[in-house]
Amino acid sequence: MIAKRIRIIALLAISLVFLLAWAFPILWSVLNSLKTDPDVLAYPPKLVFAPTLEAYRDVLFGSASILPNLVSSLVISVGTTVVTMLMAVPAAYALARLNFRGRKSAGFYVLATQMLPPVGIIIPYFLVLRNIGWIDTYQGIILIYLSFSLPFAIWLLVSYFEDIPFEMEEAAYLDGASRLRTLWRIIIPQVRGGIAVTVVFVFLNAWNEFLFAVVLSGNTVRPVTVAMFNFVSVEQTLWAKLAAVSVLAMLPVVVLGVVAQKHIVKGLTVGAVKGGGRR
Amino acid sequence: MSGRGEVRFADITRMHGEFAALKGVSFEIQPGEFFALRGPSGSGKSTTLRILAGLDAPTAGRVFIDGKDVTSTDARDRDIAMVFQSYALYPHMTVAQNIAFPLEMANLPKAEIMAGVREAARKVKIDHLLDRKPGQLSGGQQQRCALARAIVRKARLFLLDEPLSNLDAKLRLETRAEIKKLQRSLGVTAVYVTHDQEEAMTLADRMAVFMAGEIQQVGTPAEVFARPNSIDIAGFIGNPPMNLVPARYIDGDVVIAGHRLKTIMQAAGERDVVVGIRPGALRIAPDGLKAKVELIEDLGDSAVLDLDCAGTLLRVRVSDGNVPQEGDAISITARARDIHLFDPVTRKRL
Repeated sequence: MIAKRIRIIALLAISLVFLLAWAFPILWSVLNSLKTDPDVLAYPPKLVFAPTLEAYRDVLFGSASILPNLVSSLVISVGTTVVTMLMAVPAAYALARLNFRGRKSAGFYVLATQMLPPVGIIIPYFLVLRNIGWIDTYQGIILIYLSFSLPFAIWLLVSYFEDIPFEMEEAAYLDGASRLRTLWRIIIPQVRGGIAVTVVFVFLNAWNEFLFAVVLSGNTVRPVTVAMFNFVSVEQTLWAKLAAVSVLAMLPVVVLGVVAQKHIVKGLTVGAVKGGGRR
Repeated sequence: MSGRGEVRFADITRMHGEFAALKGVSFEIQPGEFFALRGPSGSGKSTTLRILAGLDAPTAGRVFIDGKDVTSTDARDRDIAMVFQSYALYPHMTVAQNIAFPLEMANLPKAEIMAGVREAARKVKIDHLLDRKPGQLSGGQQQRCALARAIVRKARLFLLDEPLSNLDAKLRLETRAEIKKLQRSLGVTAVYVTHDQEEAMTLADRMAVFMAGEIQQVGTPAEVFARPNSIDIAGFIGNPPMNLVPARYIDGDVVIAGHRLKTIMQAAGERDVVVGIRPGALRIAPDGLKAKVELIEDLGDSAVLDLDCAGTLLRVRVSDGNVPQEGDAISITARARDIHLFDPVTRKRL
């Protein structure tokens, strides 16, 4: 009895350590975004302070507003997500269902692109974009983001498509539906959970991306992850503003996570097909 | 309705790589007929159904429906409805939407679709479940929903792929009878794949028995039961199946374990044969084949005896009135017309 209790306490303690380690940066950002710069630098750190929204006002409406950067991030992320999904859904369906020459190797190449170290391909990407004049443009960044979001999305979606029994599709054909209509009316509604998950991941990857953005963006198109560094300079770091931008950049991510959670319902197909599954 | 739903398979072959799933299958189904496809697993019956539906293409041969060559016609243009073994209901749609789907695909007006859905649901008695999702239905109700979706369109052919195999025994009996009534009232041609003896016997007007990718016999269930035309069919049809014993044929008699049994064959001469006798055709008699009762399987209203007859296993079905004890020595016999003779080499009926 006592041993069991000790085990529970130990588990709780370990979980708490991990939770704190995970939550610390977020907590730090939220707290510091509400402080003034002197409060941020105070030592020992002040736990009790007069909260202020000054940092937020400055980064949003001040001279160095990051609003355009948030818009840039949004355009890039939404653009990447939309184009990715438009291409990944049919591609994943084809890989999961159709028999064509090179299907197996196509599946492998999709995965292989995920294994390349991103830093290794940044320079070639930069050169290509520069040559076609797409540096510091939305289409340039979205194109490059597609090169890793698309394989990832396809790879994720294929498993969802494969889980739908063949018979479901065959039933639709016999009911008089064309392949496209079957895809639209029968298949996609059943993988909407998977599509929601994929949308979230693709959006987040694009939203959070920094490495490619810092190389391929410029003054016109500068996502918020890159713009944050305006607040870090050789002479000083504007901690409160940096923290405020961080919190603002995190918000859409949190909102998306909460919204998508509802859609990610597992087992939508359970019960519809007895003993069904892969064949 | 008449004249619709005639099917002809002309020399259909289907290869899966090197493996021949169907080796030149030909048969015809008359309009309005209830036609069963029977055979052990992997014999080609499901492949035949899928080729008829247009879900698989034959490697060679032609499929005709109502006299028209549909070999290269898409499944959706064949005007065929099918009930799958798994039911294949659309899980994200309600029962009503499931049933409405074929009508929607045919671009019928809304009012007509509604009426059609109601009527089909009423026919299979699920009109009170229209707003449920398939996941909220019992197995039997899902089955009915699949049936309703198949009959709603009034297709010219109605295919059923082991539709009852996922139901429990009681429900299976009920649904079996209902499927038959439904098919009669609709007057539609039905093609039914099953491995169940009773289903085929009770439902089918005629059946085709598949063995290793070939049709070995086509006929009414009674015909196939009474005169199986090969050893394989004899060993497949019936529960328990026919006893098959190697024996010697001598001038109209067969000799099994030293005992002579009369047959209806007249031919003189001597040769090796395989004798087939249904378990129900063997009777306990004072004079006959000597045998020892090894095991008794009591089925309630009858019993199946496993007999050791000089080293050969024979099964006998007896009514509950005169069941011997295990270990008893008995003698058995059969009427001449109940004795089937097969050629041990060609495996065909003699």
